[in-house]
Amino acid sequence: MEKKIGAYLCSGCGIGEALDVKALEGVVSKEFKKPVKSHECLCGEAGLAVIKADMEAGDVTLPVIGACSPRVMTDRFMLPGMTPIRANLREQVIWSHPAGDEDTQMMAEDNMRMMMTMATKVNQPVPFTEGEFSTTILVVGGGYAGLTAASEASKAGHDVLLVEKKAALGGNAAGYASIVPSKPPYHDPQPNPLPKLIEGVNATKSIRVITGATVAKTSGMPGKFEVELSDGSTHTVGAIILATGFRPYDATKLSHLGYGASPDIVTNVEMEAKLKAGKVTTKAGSSPKAVAFIQCAGSRDPNHLPYCSSVCCSVSLKQAIELTKADPETMVYVIYEEMRTPGTTEEFYRSAQEAGVIFMKGKATKVENGSGITVTVADELLQQDVPLGPLDMVVLATGMVPNSTDPDAPAQEYGAELLTADINPYPAEGDYKPEPSVPPGGPLLNLQYRQGPHLPMLADGFSDSHYICFPYETRRTGIYACGPVRRPMDMGEVHEDAMGAVLKSIQVIRNAAQGHAVHPRVGDLSYPKINLNACTKCRRCTVECPFGAIDENEKDYPVVNPTRCRRCGTCMGACPVRTISFDNYTVEMLSSMVKAVNIPDEDEEKPRILVIACENDAYPALDMAGIAKHQYSPFIRILPVRCLGSMSLLLISDALSSGYDGVILMGCKPGDDYQCHFVKGSAMAKERLSKISETLKSMQLEVERVTMVDASIADGARLPKVIDELVAKIDAVGPNPFKGF
Amino acid sequence: MTISPTPKRAYDLNFARYVYENIDGGERLRMCMQCGACSGSCPIGKQMDHGPRKLFMMIRAGMKEAVLTSNTIWNCVSCYNCVVRCPRKVPITYILHDLAYLAVQEGYEPAKKADNARFAKAFWWSAAKYGRTDERLVTGKYYFSFGIGEGIKRGLGNQAIALNMIKTKRMHLGMPHAIKAKDELQKILAKAAEIQERHGKGA
Repeated sequence: MEKKIGAYLCSGCGIGEALDVKALEGVVSKEFKKPVKSHECLCGEAGLAVIKADMEAGDVTLPVIGACSPRVMTDRFMLPGMTPIRANLREQVIWSHPAGDEDTQMMAEDNMRMMMTMATKVNQPVPFTEGEFSTTILVVGGGYAGLTAASEASKAGHDVLLVEKKAALGGNAAGYASIVPSKPPYHDPQPNPLPKLIEGVNATKSIRVITGATVAKTSGMPGKFEVELSDGSTHTVGAIILATGFRPYDATKLSHLGYGASPDIVTNVEMEAKLKAGKVTTKAGSSPKAVAFIQCAGSRDPNHLPYCSSVCCSVSLKQAIELTKADPETMVYVIYEEMRTPGTTEEFYRSAQEAGVIFMKGKATKVENGSGITVTVADELLQQDVPLGPLDMVVLATGMVPNSTDPDAPAQEYGAELLTADINPYPAEGDYKPEPSVPPGGPLLNLQYRQGPHLPMLADGFSDSHYICFPYETRRTGIYACGPVRRPMDMGEVHEDAMGAVLKSIQVIRNAAQGHAVHPRVGDLSYPKINLNACTKCRRCTVECPFGAIDENEKDYPVVNPTRCRRCGTCMGACPVRTISFDNYTVEMLSSMVKAVNIPDEDEEKPRILVIACENDAYPALDMAGIAKHQYSPFIRILPVRCLGSMSLLLISDALSSGYDGVILMGCKPGDDYQCHFVKGSAMAKERLSKISETLKSMQLEVERVTMVDASIADGARLPKVIDELVAKIDAVGPNPFKGF
Repeated sequence: MTISPTPKRAYDLNFARYVYENIDGGERLRMCMQCGACSGSCPIGKQMDHGPRKLFMMIRAGMKEAVLTSNTIWNCVSCYNCVVRCPRKVPITYILHDLAYLAVQEGYEPAKKADNARFAKAFWWSAAKYGRTDERLVTGKYYFSFGIGEGIKRGLGNQAIALNMIKTKRMHLGMPHAIKAKDELQKILAKAAEIQERHGKGA
């Protein structure tokens, strides 16, 4: 189908009063020779009818809409045919700049020029839908998380393959006498839901359970993963849920807390086993009359687990309540540094207080075993060392170690170096940099990916994901982690987490089959295409892809796995020969958009500064600045990009050689606590930028002309000030000598 | 007289459990989460050996003697700031007052000597005997509880105030006022004592 561009300008929301719409029409009709219409309310029925009439008549297939931000009214402008291109005249022009001003008008005209140029460059993406797509979900791990996921996925109509390493289902939860309450009034321990769940899973025909097996090899991509199990069987699955859970921290390392000195010094796991057996007794066979729980045993301790496992406090509360229930005369102490009872477990804490459990704030400094056990507590509330004893039992509340690897399998040499520290490979001075370390054990899925067999993990060993925005996502598309392998959590949270991972799996299965991207560019049909004739086999794309979507073939050429791709364009920005492109997103397109802007002569004293803004955070933050009517310099021209990672250095040199006085890059915070939606796109941009000074020197330009700014979506009030400061700084350097060349 | 159990080691809970079960408001004390809102809002916290927060932790720690000899229980002025602010609804003021009563009963020296205790005794004596408080009798009884010499000294020291009070008819001369049916009052008090006894508290 031939592409026919038509522009539509809206004069509503004050655009008509603040701008000369006739002049804007002139830009389209004279400079681009395209039809243009304006309407006083384009998003209304009458306005939409104008566009629809042209499209139905076949005069226009790709509308360019000059109105509000592309982030609003998306449902109104959802038109048949190509996705409309939106020029932002409202939030980023008239709401953030004075009405009727010459500079405001110039900004609006340049926005139209950029978007008209974009329209001439985009093509309708052809989605990847080759071959068969499986709808089966593989669940790895048959504990509470895995069983819940399997059960929920089958309820949603999917076939499930559940693989458990041990001979029996249940995992850690099989040993629980009761669980921390997840239902109101959150007062008493709840019965363990596991036996019923196992029963249900075993009775479900659409769930195939394979016990005593692990995953030997995984290749392919979402919708078409090829999985080989240790029993030799092979399966094709659409998505994978990783529910390998946790293992308790090795208590033999806790000899400083008396573990091993007496059989009556036990871990919380051992105490749970006693409770499950029915009656808690000491080694001597009597019921304990005085029991102390030591919290944070080996947790929040740089020599052991540096993190908080979040559930140990509520587990101790539960066990303490059970002990006082069994015998109200028992003296139960909980020695804590901070009581951490997130959410509704605060109610459970109250319940334990009502039951008469005594909470001692302080650190257990010594555990001695003589006639009875004595724990010396540095009591923070009494400001003295208190010898607590004689005690009949001591319970060490140990934390969770994620099963991000299979501890029973041999470690693989290859890929281990990629496990850590790759989020922030180029840290700035003072940035937190995790030590590159390899957790013991072999890969869980043994991914046959260019970027190694493991799922990338955080410094503490938990599976890496965009923690706040997309918690279930791992950095391998189509593989979703749930339960304690992702972060420490209790059974109630695991239940929700498993359901979330199932929903994510269903999303990826359905999207992949249609060639759609999954989050954050949901529905994007494009995917990277590589012109191998120009490829130099430099491998930057295969190494830099945050999601491991690009493999290498036997000739070292890159091979894109389209359904693994999240469409950030980091490969496109990385490619030194610019041979990677999307149907609707190319370096050439961005470069043409940059050059489409009118650069006034030096003597007009109107500098032009290019702002390359990340679409996920910086661009909406700039919109919000407009919504709040924060004013900023009209000399900037905003170029939205999918991710700062997709920014090729060519854009900067093109901008400077075509007369822009400076370039500001606005992206998400890189580093270990990254906010980048594509994990390390902004880190890659930062890295590329560190090389720009040579380019600038070769052009005999000042380094100050190019700056990178961290922007979060909440920076609407801050960014206008940042822009004004940087514009002033660039202005002080003086006009770009390339102007007018 | 020993009423409450005396712990033999740190964090022996027998005294804490006695407080939970017998002290006015004590049943809410187990809900104390040691946030310190009470001590932080106490207007006279600086005049206390320990703030209420720490005193409550000492109860749990079995430090009975330290609790019942502290001046905290006597210096509370019943402003109820802490009670209003306590996130766990612990009636701190009640607990402090009843602990003070326990200290008197158990005969701790500071409880015998405490100003507040002397005044409370004088007040109660007048109220129980006449059904009213008489300024001269209450202050007299209070002053002379320190001994005859000290009583005279204190009385003379407040002479000017007393004269002014008489002048403005705030204090009268002559026989103390009494309620009409004093025997009825005695019956009521006897009944109250009986109820208190039945609820397991000492006289």
